[in-house]
Amino acid sequence: MQLSGEYFSFEELCYATEMSSQTVIDIIDHGIVEPVGSDPDSWRFSMQMVSISKKAYRLHRDLEIDWSGIALAISLLEELDQLRDENRHLRKRLERFLGD
Amino acid sequence: MDFKDYYKILSVEPDADSKAIKTAYRKLARKYHPDVSEHHEAEEKFKEVTEAYEVLKDPEKRAQYDELRRYGGQVPPQGWQQGGFSGTQAGRQSSHQFDGDFSDFFNSIFGGFSQSGGGSGERRSGSQQGFYSEAGFSQKGDDIETDMPIFLEDTLTNTSKKISYNLPHRDGQGRVSTVTKTLNVKIPAGVSDGERIRLKGQGGQGIGNAPAGDLYLRIRLVPHPLFDVEAHNLIITVPLAPWEAALGTSLELPTLNGKIKLTIPPNSQTGQRLRIKGKGLVRKDGHGDLYAVLKVVMPAATSAESKKHWQELAASNAFDPRKEWRK
Repeated sequence: MQLSGEYFSFEELCYATEMSSQTVIDIIDHGIVEPVGSDPDSWRFSMQMVSISKKAYRLHRDLEIDWSGIALAISLLEELDQLRDENRHLRKRLERFLGD
Repeated sequence: MDFKDYYKILSVEPDADSKAIKTAYRKLARKYHPDVSEHHEAEEKFKEVTEAYEVLKDPEKRAQYDELRRYGGQVPPQGWQQGGFSGTQAGRQSSHQFDGDFSDFFNSIFGGFSQSGGGSGERRSGSQQGFYSEAGFSQKGDDIETDMPIFLEDTLTNTSKKISYNLPHRDGQGRVSTVTKTLNVKIPAGVSDGERIRLKGQGGQGIGNAPAGDLYLRIRLVPHPLFDVEAHNLIITVPLAPWEAALGTSLELPTLNGKIKLTIPPNSQTGQRLRIKGKGLVRKDGHGDLYAVLKVVMPAATSAESKKHWQELAASNAFDPRKEWRK
């Protein structure tokens, strides 16, 4: 089983996420994902960005939230994830430190 | 097949107006959306709520459902749709048809395809809103996202892991069932928690001539009994007897790949970190470090002889551990 390349082009992202190029541009314009590269032809998207784009699209579709709302939700969800991770991590450290 | 009380699912009265139904749906959809919710049954709940709304928002479907409900919620017998009920015929002709994500109950009333079983932990994404209505339609297969648990030890070198996951399988008649697929996946050294690996074409099969979807593996580092992960560094807590902390010692320290000798300097303190270079996780450009965090622990019981020693120490030592309080 061969792993495919690490990055998606603009076209590949549209195809993989089944979003129109305009939707992807909306997502980029709102800073939800920030591809490497200056113009659509040279844009490169990481796997992380592919998954964020999909999540953004699902939230937009299922909850009828506009893109600026999505941008806010995504950044808050990311922050929540980080804080949960950090909390789990610190709890574990504390346990090791206080436990026998 | 169980009768589904869509009103109860949306927590609305049976005479609720469309506005109340919409509000209730929106509230629950936000609460249970699988991308937002931590609820362990979020995906199931979300589907249930979506299904309830799909029926109750549509006056025609709602009327059909209400009628069924009046008959005491008997699940319709075979051929019920053709039995003179007005409204939609079997699913394929209705303009919008979910691709098998609704319950058997829903499908028995409004037509459609049944899906047996459900993914365990996998989340289908991408084409869920891919309604299809006519023969000849083609659509890329579903992408599948699933967690891939990896032991810390396995991240040090390239490794090969077996993974099993569930895939929706559509037969010639459009019926959907679940099949389990097993793959051997090469995991490159240095993968990190949350990283995604894409396996092209290993997702759900395409409809018509369209290609299969992809499989996305999300790396999950399995918590280790001894080591905690901090970026590419590892942390291990080293318990020390008070005299080891005071006098210093040499001990065998476990690392991810074998034991090494660690020297504890005299006058060590709880919380102090000793850095062991290069013994952390693998990075793209080398290795992270291992940090040994010291923790002074008291023996559980003190013998009479030990007590004598502690008393001598107490008498001869001017150490004031609560100096800060007296400032």
